[in-house]
Amino acid sequence: MTVSWKDGLKLVGISIICACAVFVCTFFMSYYLDALSVHGEVAENALKLYESQLLSAKLTCLISGLCLLLVSVVLLLFYVKLYLDGHAKQIGILKALGYGSGKIAVGFWVFGLSVFLGCVVGFGGGYALTPVIYEQMSGEGLPEVPITFHAELLICFVLVPTVLFAALAVLYALYKLRLPASELLRGKSELAKGKPRIPKKNRPFLREVFFETLRARKTLAFFVAFACFCFSAMLQMSVSMMDLASVTMGAIVLGIGIVLSVMCLLLAFTAISSSNRTAVSVMRANGYTLFQCGAAVLGSYSIPAVIGFGVGTVYQYGLLRLMTELVFRGVEEMKTYRFDVPVFFIVLAAFLVLFGVAVAVFTYRTGRTSIRKLMAE
Amino acid sequence: MILAENVTKSYTNGKTITPVLKGVSLRIKKGELAVILGASGSGKSTLLSVLSGLERADGGNITVSGENLSAMNEKQLTDFRKRKVGFVFQQYFLLPHLSVEGNVKLGAFLADNREYPEIIEALGLGDKKHSRPAELSGGEQQRVSIARALAKKPEILFLDEPTGALDENTGRSVLDYIAKLQTELGFTAVMVTHNPFAADMADSVIKMNSGNIAETYCNEVRKSAFEIGW
Repeated sequence: MTVSWKDGLKLVGISIICACAVFVCTFFMSYYLDALSVHGEVAENALKLYESQLLSAKLTCLISGLCLLLVSVVLLLFYVKLYLDGHAKQIGILKALGYGSGKIAVGFWVFGLSVFLGCVVGFGGGYALTPVIYEQMSGEGLPEVPITFHAELLICFVLVPTVLFAALAVLYALYKLRLPASELLRGKSELAKGKPRIPKKNRPFLREVFFETLRARKTLAFFVAFACFCFSAMLQMSVSMMDLASVTMGAIVLGIGIVLSVMCLLLAFTAISSSNRTAVSVMRANGYTLFQCGAAVLGSYSIPAVIGFGVGTVYQYGLLRLMTELVFRGVEEMKTYRFDVPVFFIVLAAFLVLFGVAVAVFTYRTGRTSIRKLMAE
Repeated sequence: MILAENVTKSYTNGKTITPVLKGVSLRIKKGELAVILGASGSGKSTLLSVLSGLERADGGNITVSGENLSAMNEKQLTDFRKRKVGFVFQQYFLLPHLSVEGNVKLGAFLADNREYPEIIEALGLGDKKHSRPAELSGGEQQRVSIARALAKKPEILFLDEPTGALDENTGRSVLDYIAKLQTELGFTAVMVTHNPFAADMADSVIKMNSGNIAETYCNEVRKSAFEIGW
């Protein structure tokens, strides 16, 4: 299986997502575990501060780290699926040449390598930052928290995700390889399945293309919705965390939230662009303008995008309310969480601008793919 | 009329520049069926691309129906393709998520052609109009591609190896159908093929070799694909 440098760049995106998730988890979990070991040495008057610091680390790790890790898992699953769908023909050629399904599938372990690289960087970065974090978390009456290397964190945050994703990629490839070589070569897996809907008589044609594009690519629509869900939830949650946790932690989480949310959107648009390249090229060759192509094909994903954004907003609100009112009920230092309306509008504005720019840029890029290039492929 | 004068085109791959068209000049009359013949790599598909406004030539002049393509910007070329040109490709390039009717409407919409259902019927696709391309045979898919091109009411129809992916019989049927429509509707058709037998079906024949025109001639009588008997 050939992985081009462009595919490599996409894998860098996955590595970054993993690195960010593991980075957050490493230093907060590390602090939490180390701080637990000095419980007996905490002075009476610093007990509240100590509990507050533990709470802050736990809260940040639970909400941010685990959520980000979960997001990475889902995004990676989608990326592996899209990658395999996009390379069905190459797999078909190998299979037609006589390569066994198992032999081809094993080559997909390389996806685990990208996860491994991301996790190693994230773990190393997180571990390197522990002195800074420990310094930030220290206070009067608190004993010095020793920095300990936790091998179990290395296993949980580096080895387990690597093995999991490598296995997942190989298994998924095996599943795809069940198709006969002839079907893979025809790219049948890429073709829309099921009966098309009989078009409404008075609906303008470009609106028909808009809805049919969306209807035919449900997985991609879900992927876009999920990416926008992540964008909305991560950014709003990151800003809210600045109020709930310490400023340093809040800033770190916000920075990571921005990187990850932009990365999610970028991955979604890369997938949209590659999946709709032929449609846009054919429309361009026939004389449709870039604006018409953008609005009818790529613009159709604005519906799942807006739904994803809305669900992300509700999700982050619900999760933070749940954490502050149920999980940490009775803890004095815990501030009351309220929905931040100005932040919502700022994030919404940023989302609309980013989405609009992304549609324009990717329409332009996709529109430049000539029919001749597609023929050569 | 299509007029090309000293047209050049090359492709760059890293530091390698490959000249594909080396000063091609030709003239195709209005309402003609012209066939461009040549071996693989002779530059015939590139010539079709620059004549149809899909790609820009590096040098020379191309005039189609009195419009100078060489002087057009990207927006004007798009508008030119919309108004004047229809395409039929070897790989069909149908949109897999649209039905047969949807694919034909893709062309009809641009020309505000409300009679497109007649074209679907005329091409024998009436009972398949709600099917997806994946459910059709190669010949049927190519007919959808032709219907899409004709639904635009083009002045000029460009065909790039329209029978390349079809078996002999289906290929003959498709070619005869195109020739029949071209005679009936009077549009100009420019077809690229490597099949030398197709030459007898054309009004004019342009033979290409290594980026140059090797020979051009006209036929007094056009034959059908089945008369040629390849």
